[in-house]
Amino acid sequence: MHNRRLPRRGIALAAAAAAVAAPAGCALEPEADTIVGARSLTIGVKADQPHLGLRRSDGRYEGFDVDVAVYLAGRLGVPPERIRFRTTPSSVRERALQDGTVDMIVASYSITAPRKTKVTFAGPYYVPHQDTLVRADDTSIRSVRDLEGKRLCQVTGSNSWRRVTEEREIKATLVRVDTYSECMDLLDQRRVDAVSTDDLILAGFAAGRSGRILNAPFTDEKYGIGLHKGDLAGCEALNRAITRMYQDGTAARLLDKWFGKSGLKLTTSIPQFEGCS
Amino acid sequence: MTTPPSSPPAVATAAGGAPAPQAEPAARRPRRFRVVGLRTIPGRIRLYTAASLLSVVLLLGVTMAAVGNARDGVQTIGHDAGPQVMATGTLYFALSDMDAQVADILLIGREHDLGIGRAESLRRYEQRRAEADQAAVQAAQIAGRDEARRRTVREVLDGLGRYERLVGEAMLLDRQSAHPAGELPQNVIDTYRQATDLMKMELLPRAYNLTLDSGATVRQSYETDRDAVLDGRLRVGLAGALALALLIALQVYLAGRFRRLVNPALALATVLALAVVAAGMAMLSAQAGHLQRAKEEGFDSILALNRARAISHSAFADESRYLLDPGRADTYEQVFLDKALSVLYVDPGLRPLNLETYYGLLPGAVRSYERDPSGPPVEVLGLFGEEKDKNLAEFEESRLRLTVQAYQRVMDNDRRMRELAAAGDRRAAIELRMGRQSGAITAFDSYDQQLTSLIQAHRDEFDRAVRAGDDGLGGWDVLPPAAALAVAGLVLAGVRPRLAEFR
Repeated sequence: MHNRRLPRRGIALAAAAAAVAAPAGCALEPEADTIVGARSLTIGVKADQPHLGLRRSDGRYEGFDVDVAVYLAGRLGVPPERIRFRTTPSSVRERALQDGTVDMIVASYSITAPRKTKVTFAGPYYVPHQDTLVRADDTSIRSVRDLEGKRLCQVTGSNSWRRVTEEREIKATLVRVDTYSECMDLLDQRRVDAVSTDDLILAGFAAGRSGRILNAPFTDEKYGIGLHKGDLAGCEALNRAITRMYQDGTAARLLDKWFGKSGLKLTTSIPQFEGCS
Repeated sequence: MTTPPSSPPAVATAAGGAPAPQAEPAARRPRRFRVVGLRTIPGRIRLYTAASLLSVVLLLGVTMAAVGNARDGVQTIGHDAGPQVMATGTLYFALSDMDAQVADILLIGREHDLGIGRAESLRRYEQRRAEADQAAVQAAQIAGRDEARRRTVREVLDGLGRYERLVGEAMLLDRQSAHPAGELPQNVIDTYRQATDLMKMELLPRAYNLTLDSGATVRQSYETDRDAVLDGRLRVGLAGALALALLIALQVYLAGRFRRLVNPALALATVLALAVVAAGMAMLSAQAGHLQRAKEEGFDSILALNRARAISHSAFADESRYLLDPGRADTYEQVFLDKALSVLYVDPGLRPLNLETYYGLLPGAVRSYERDPSGPPVEVLGLFGEEKDKNLAEFEESRLRLTVQAYQRVMDNDRRMRELAAAGDRRAAIELRMGRQSGAITAFDSYDQQLTSLIQAHRDEFDRAVRAGDDGLGGWDVLPPAAALAVAGLVLAGVRPRLAEFR
């Protein structure tokens, strides 16, 4: 009994000494889920917004949001071949982050106070404004106030029309449809007079059509990058990456690539960040 | 614990190199001990003693490392980066207030005594300009070799040059036209639009992002330092346990071998080691607490509230812009609402999110800051909402309450001003906004004072935590080595007479 006791104690002491000397930072509090240092990323994007996030027939995604996501992931050290895009419609965005279906979301995702309680937002990477699209030959509408008495397209599930008829109490007649592309058709067929929503979305849908954007913005939206709630390190790293994106000219290039021909006045200086929380 | 002299092979081989002459501490040791080595009682005593002393050295090492981490933490957040980052917040405030002063000057036109007066606005403009310069220098210093941040600072300074040129032009046109308050000629409006757009689109975002980014650096180093202090505490505990175990083992061995109950010197060494370990761990816990208090209740709140203050000032200036540029009144109203929401957000539910709704919901939100709010609970978000959810001292809580109450009075004036303007009585609206007696400026100043004193409360909390951190570390550069020396001395003093018995 005595004989066996000493070596065992020796081992225990050696183990204790090893534990004392072990490098820091591994044992106590596990870091919150973060995208920093990830080998691969699953990124949520829209599938139905031309020039922002659109799923093509071959299953690949394209658009401004997609290019921004690829650039930012690259800044985090994740090359394009290790990015998986997933379609995340507006209604499932918070859930997709919470249940881990996606690591981050770049999908015309506006930062709002209620959303900030569930999602950590990096950015905004762009500040679009609500603006109005009219027929090219229509000179009677110059600002949102001129929509008084006009027919305005109302898309189910979108809040943009409320900003005109409810928040500004402009008495326009609402014409209800399901999608913005239907709005474009109705505009061409002179069944509505105006479509009003985020200018980037308008520019995307109007591409290749004859409509005219008023360039009379009346709100500031904030397109942010949604992250798991609490991923402050990821948020800070993305904010630095967005800063680089504007400083190295990528932001201006991408905006021009996707919206340059739309006639929309684009902002190529860096937006004011929201702050990571 | 009476281990027989015939030691197991594992230990014998492991310690085989130890008895080599150069490794032995005492040259005058009798020869025979070296020959018989660890198999004898004195050999065993030497082994235990050496192990104890080594463990004391280890304990000293980890303690000093943890003290160093704690010191770094307090230094960074309390003395270096923390205060510097708070100072860069001035940049955003100063820039935004420069533009606010310009808006007021242009709005009042030739009526130089409206509001705080043209001369006072000019004086404030110059003062903010100087403050912005100073804060930019600070920001450049913090940026260090970070190229992206240095470039941002440069861009701010370049932009400021262009901004001042535009403002100079607008003021010249303004003086030449000598217009009555609120009736600006289009060329003044157009020039001012360029200036204020430049400020809003290019200068303010960069200034804001600079503070956020350097704040992120502070957060990261805080997390690292605090983790290191807590890890250090664990290591001190483990190293302490090891040292105590060895000291007790030595004590027990001596008691068994020499038939004495207690070796007093060794017992004293053990008690001393225990005391230092306990004190060290307690000190490190306290340091982690001080760091957390300085960061969360001080630094974070100060940054957030300074942001709220800067946003409030620029929102207040949006009222002037709303009056001076009727062509953009809708935009300035929307921007005002956005700023109000970022300061204090109330969920509109199904109602449209406009100022009308906001005015209506605000009293309920402000009531929720009372100690025992009546009515159903109201969820408040935004900067003031986040402050409310923090763990506040009673004093801070009451100042926060006074601040939001003063904020509500500012909003009441805003409502009256917009009602007058909407009814077409621009003159009355301007007098309400700019008049010295009529309230809007007085109400805003009193809100600003409440907010400043709330910020000061957090600043005091920050200073207290930093001072506690500094004080708590006092003596910890000297105490561990001194205690280690004392323990080592006592161990040797306790063991020596026993070894002497074998001479």
